[in-house]
Amino acid sequence: MSADPGRTSHGPESGRGPWSVSGARLLIAATAASLALVAVYLAAGGGAYEPTPVRDPCLPREWRSPDDLDQVAQQFTLSALDGAACELDVSRERLALALSTEESRAAFAAEHDISEDELEAAIRAGLERAIDDADAAGALPPFAATPLRELARQLPVEEAIRLIYGAGDVLALGAGLPERLGDLLPG
Amino acid sequence: MIEDGRVERRLWPVRAGDGALPAAVIGTVALVLADSSIVVLALPEIYRELDVSVATVVWVLISFNLVLALAAVPSARLAASRGPALVTFAGLIVFAAASLACGLAPTIEVLLLARCLQAAGGAAAVCASLELLPAAVGSERRAVAAWAAAGAAGAALGPGVGGLLTEFISWQSIFLVQVPASALLAVPLVAAARREAEVERPAREPAGRPHLAANMALGLISAGLAAALFLVVLLLIEGWRLSPAVAAAAVTVMPVAALATAPLARRIAAGVEARAAAGVILLTGGLAGLGLLPKASVVLTFPPQILVGIGLALTLSALTEAALAGRSSQAIHGGFTIAARHAGVVAGLLVLTPLFTADLDTQRRDAEEAGTAALLDAPLSAGAKLDLAGRIGDRIREEEDRVPVLGPAFEPLPDDPAERDQVTALRATIEDELDRAATHAFSRSFLLAAAFALAALIPIGLARRRLEL
Repeated sequence: MSADPGRTSHGPESGRGPWSVSGARLLIAATAASLALVAVYLAAGGGAYEPTPVRDPCLPREWRSPDDLDQVAQQFTLSALDGAACELDVSRERLALALSTEESRAAFAAEHDISEDELEAAIRAGLERAIDDADAAGALPPFAATPLRELARQLPVEEAIRLIYGAGDVLALGAGLPERLGDLLPG
Repeated sequence: MIEDGRVERRLWPVRAGDGALPAAVIGTVALVLADSSIVVLALPEIYRELDVSVATVVWVLISFNLVLALAAVPSARLAASRGPALVTFAGLIVFAAASLACGLAPTIEVLLLARCLQAAGGAAAVCASLELLPAAVGSERRAVAAWAAAGAAGAALGPGVGGLLTEFISWQSIFLVQVPASALLAVPLVAAARREAEVERPAREPAGRPHLAANMALGLISAGLAAALFLVVLLLIEGWRLSPAVAAAAVTVMPVAALATAPLARRIAAGVEARAAAGVILLTGGLAGLGLLPKASVVLTFPPQILVGIGLALTLSALTEAALAGRSSQAIHGGFTIAARHAGVVAGLLVLTPLFTADLDTQRRDAEEAGTAALLDAPLSAGAKLDLAGRIGDRIREEEDRVPVLGPAFEPLPDDPAERDQVTALRATIEDELDRAATHAFSRSFLLAAAFALAALIPIGLARRRLEL
């Protein structure tokens, strides 16, 4: 691929001109510079710079601070999202984004080929898991778990979603919870 | 008639030092070849304004490069038969008219059509200009060096200039400024075309076969280079959400490195194959570095860009010299190099665009999930989380399929100092997730581009072993 009869690389490097760099040295320098850059970037974590993977929703969630009502309400929400997401085989976060509006819920159902009935069943399953987790952590008032499970089974789906995000309102009812749950049930 | 290397042949009637002609010809090459990349920084603005997808808007680049590749050799043949000054002049006029049409295009269809016309005019001007240069600058070797350097400078400087024009005026201004620029460059060609018409045309020599190895290598490194320019710009603007002006400043590192190296590269005594191969290795290393960025930092793009720039200067000049040395006519063989380079750009864009758009979509979704996880697990009150979730959701929906700019969703910050600190930390976490996702989304494309560039060693190696393809 000679371009210049006086400048071929097939003969000995003539050393003409101010920079008498041989072909071999030029190639070694280029290779060293390229490898050094790649090695430094890999050592600095280049290959591993990617989004933090999200947690498997089917794994059990550890509850903390069962006496703080806001903490309990938030953990109830997370457990419910975990339970529903596990049922649907999606991430908790994807489901949380999907449940934010009716449009996003419809788009999510269409994307994952999930029927309204399947989504509703998953939401109820999520609520039941949250109740189980809260009960196991001692975060529920005595005897509240059974009527809450009944509530989760019977609530219209819109109310069930509202319960996931607004668990604090229900849990704030405190000791009177079992008696007042009847007010929330249909009929 | 001048003697240059192994070639002795009649040239068109242009004299060394013929007024402003050499500058006009070199300027023409730089202007036209800048157009293959000048719109890169404007693409996000164009697809927002014309309401099309990334996969569609990339045709603003592909259409230009495709027509340039297809029209290069026929244009060169036209220049050889009709006269290079006349064809360069006519090409510039078509280029100017098409640039005006691009600047006024109301729809993507009109813009793409005008881009095709612009490329057709540009191909004529660039290829014909190579036939004018040897006589204008006094030597075929100097002409090839000037032609290759002008093309490389134009292609490398294009994105930066385009970014500044987009930021401070509009994407349309990129095309509109080319109208007077083309007209200005066409002026010295009028006299040359007249002189050309008055003399007997040089006897047409049959064009020999193209230097396949050099042209194949040019095509492969151009595919990688297209990625370097196009993907870096999209990473900065779409991925890291920088303004076009900041992105323009950031990508200027690559052409500055190329331009600074070009004069030094010509002084290196090593042979053409060694210079070409060393350039390819540097280009590959730089592209691989871009694919392995350890974090979302503009400064970290500089070392890979410098390697790409130096590699570009070494390899483009060496391969263009090899492709044109001792071959006649220069315009036709220059046409082959233009066709190979721009076909490489088209191939690179066609292969890489679906890959990175799919990766960007996947990574954007992963980032949304990771950001949502950060929000759900943040030590904030339930009320504050619900409020933030609503605003972040609105931003994500507003930005549709793009990596969202979430800053406004966190404004105004809460009054409570403790909660304000928590929200600020959450914002930093979520934005870091977006940066991670965007950077990772481009990794595979950069690494594939590096593989394209590295593949250029095959034809270079075969040529060295005298296995001319």
